[in-house]
Parts: sequence; C-alpha cells; structure tokens
Amino acid sequence: MLRRMRNDRTLALLAVLAGVVLIVLAIVYWIEPARSLPSFFPGHEAGSGHHHVKHGIAAFFVGLALFVFAWFKTGPKRASTPVT
Amino acid sequence: MILGALISYPQAIVLGLLQGVSELFPVSSLGHSVILPKLFGWNIHQNDKYFLTFLVATHLATAIVLFCFFFRDWVRIIRGIGRSLRDRGIDPDDADAKLGWLLVVGTIPAGILGLLLEHSLRKVFASPTSAAIFLTLNGLLLYGAELLRRRAPVADAEDDARIGRTVTWRGAFFVGAAQAIALIPGFSRSGATIGGGLVVGLSHKDAARYAFLLATPIIAAAAILKLPELFGPDGDGVRGQALVGAICSAATAYLAVRFLMRFFETQTLRPFAIYCFAAGLACTIYFVAT
Repeated sequence: MLRRMRNDRTLALLAVLAGVVLIVLAIVYWIEPARSLPSFFPGHEAGSGHHHVKHGIAAFFVGLALFVFAWFKTGPKRASTPVT
Repeated sequence: MILGALISYPQAIVLGLLQGVSELFPVSSLGHSVILPKLFGWNIHQNDKYFLTFLVATHLATAIVLFCFFFRDWVRIIRGIGRSLRDRGIDPDDADAKLGWLLVVGTIPAGILGLLLEHSLRKVFASPTSAAIFLTLNGLLLYGAELLRRRAPVADAEDDARIGRTVTWRGAFFVGAAQAIALIPGFSRSGATIGGGLVVGLSHKDAARYAFLLATPIIAAAAILKLPELFGPDGDGVRGQALVGAICSAATAYLAVRFLMRFFETQTLRPFAIYCFAAGLACTIYFVAT
C-alpha cells in the first residue's frame, strides 16, 4: 500500500516535470524560428524562418495532459484515475 | 481576377454535398475529394492551396453540425470532466466523466499524429491513383474490423454508461490513434474509429456514437487551425464558393449523422466495405488504364 502510494507520487512528480519541460518546449517552438531551435529539437532547420506552431501546440497539449495525469494521481484514492 | 481558374459554384455544391456525406460515412472524404475531381476531369488538385482553403470551410461546417447534433451530450460530458477535475478522480458511476476522459485520451494521439504527419502524408499520397488504392484497402479494413469484432456486451440502460464500461483507457488510446490512418487519402476516419470501437467490444451503434463524438474535436481543431488561411490571401477567389460548399456540407452532414445513428442500430460496416473495395478497385483500374 505504502509502496503503491510512493510509486504514485513518483509518477506524478515525473509527470509534472515532463509537463513543465513540454510547456517550455511549446513556448520555444512558438517564439523561435526553425533556424534558432537547438539542433537536437525536431524541426530544427538551418536558415529557415518558419515557426513550428503545430509542434508547439502538440507539446503544449501533451504537457497539459501530463499535468492532469499528475492531478488525478495525487487525488483521493476512492475513485479511479484516468490512465491505468 | 483568377476566379475562373478556381472552384466554380456548381463544383463547390457537388464537393460540399460530397464532403458532408463522406466525412461521416466510413468511406473517406479526403479520398473522394481526390478521386472525384479526377473522374469528372476537373482541374482541382488536393494540394492546391485554394482547394485546401475550401476544405477548411466544409470541415468546419461538418464539425459544427456534429457539435450541434450531440450538443446535449457535450454539455453533460464537459460537466462530467469538470466534476472529475474538482474531485480529482472519476467516480465509477459517473458515465459522463468517464466518456469525457475516454474522448480526451483518444484525441491526444490523433491530434499529435495529425499535427506532425498531416502535411507530409498529404504530399506523399496526393495522387488519385494512390487514393483509389487506399480506398480499396479501406474496404478491406472495414471488413477486417467486422471479422475481428468482439461480441458486444449485454445492453445497458444508458448509452454512455455502456461505452464507459466497455472501452478501457488502452482501448480509447488505440481507437484514437486509429484515426491517424485517415491522414492518408482513401482511408476513412470514421471507418477507423467505428472499426476500432467494434474491435474493443462496442456494438455498431455505440461504436458509431463514440466515433462521431471523437471526430468532433479533431475535425473542429483541424479546421480552426487553418481558418486564418480562409481569411488570408489563400482564400481570395474561393470564399464565396467555400461558403456555398460549407452550407451544402452542413446539410448533408446533418442528414448523414441522423441516418447513420439509425442505420447502425441494426446494420453493420459490410455495405461500406463492399462499396469501398469495389469503387476503389474500379477507380484504380481506370486511373492506371488511362
């Protein structure tokens, strides 16, 4: 029981961290053109002024979903959580 | 004025009527919008900017019709999601909340795959011949879904409770991801989701209802994301035709969703599978031969 609670907390913490990273990623995609993205980012393109708005939207919504996941995981245990 | 080179009003009416029906019937709207202009000898190509802009309007109209048709359901679903967020969990008896989160879980993979792959897939598979081949495969996919169908559970009193009990989180993700196949012209979004619903254990009626609910946010989001193009330079010369097409699309989408919700109470995907296979094969042979 205690172990499961600890696992849930760890999962929630990881989800929040990943969520924050993804939201930051989304903002970077929205404000930086493809040429200014770090080379390890999907969509990096030398010399391109294109903004990867869609990549940003995808990252934002996945980040949001991870926050919701963490919100449910750390809630009271009487109800089921959305992802099992 | 470049109006003569773009879509004419009669073409807009035909394409709008077709879009409303084929978006909801499991027969691939994108496939039909690629194949039909070629069959009629129209100089309209799937990757032409003005045609994509035209499609934005017809898709938006379809999404609005779907949203209005299921409006009461959406109100209940959104309230259910709100309740579950407030309570930080889903009450096992709250069918609306469960259905709402199933739709969210299903929309995420479809949304991500759509955002990332739509442009490249549309470019690669733009030809009428490839659309006809994939339409044939869509027929096989629909037939395969019927063969793989699990026996639907004993009828519950309420539709959403039945869907909530039958579809698992993994199943919702699988059905949602299946929508991404519709990015390839020839494969049907509603066919993939209704088929996916059957495979995870839903009845035909519940699978259709779940597919239409799942389609609404995706179709609406895709259209809204591209809406600026309709009002920008890409929309010059097609806005009037897009409006006419959207009205036609809305009318047939309404009739289609009404018809299909009744049709799937007693019928299966087989007629659509036969149509897709036969039409796809005939078009493939015709395009290759000519």
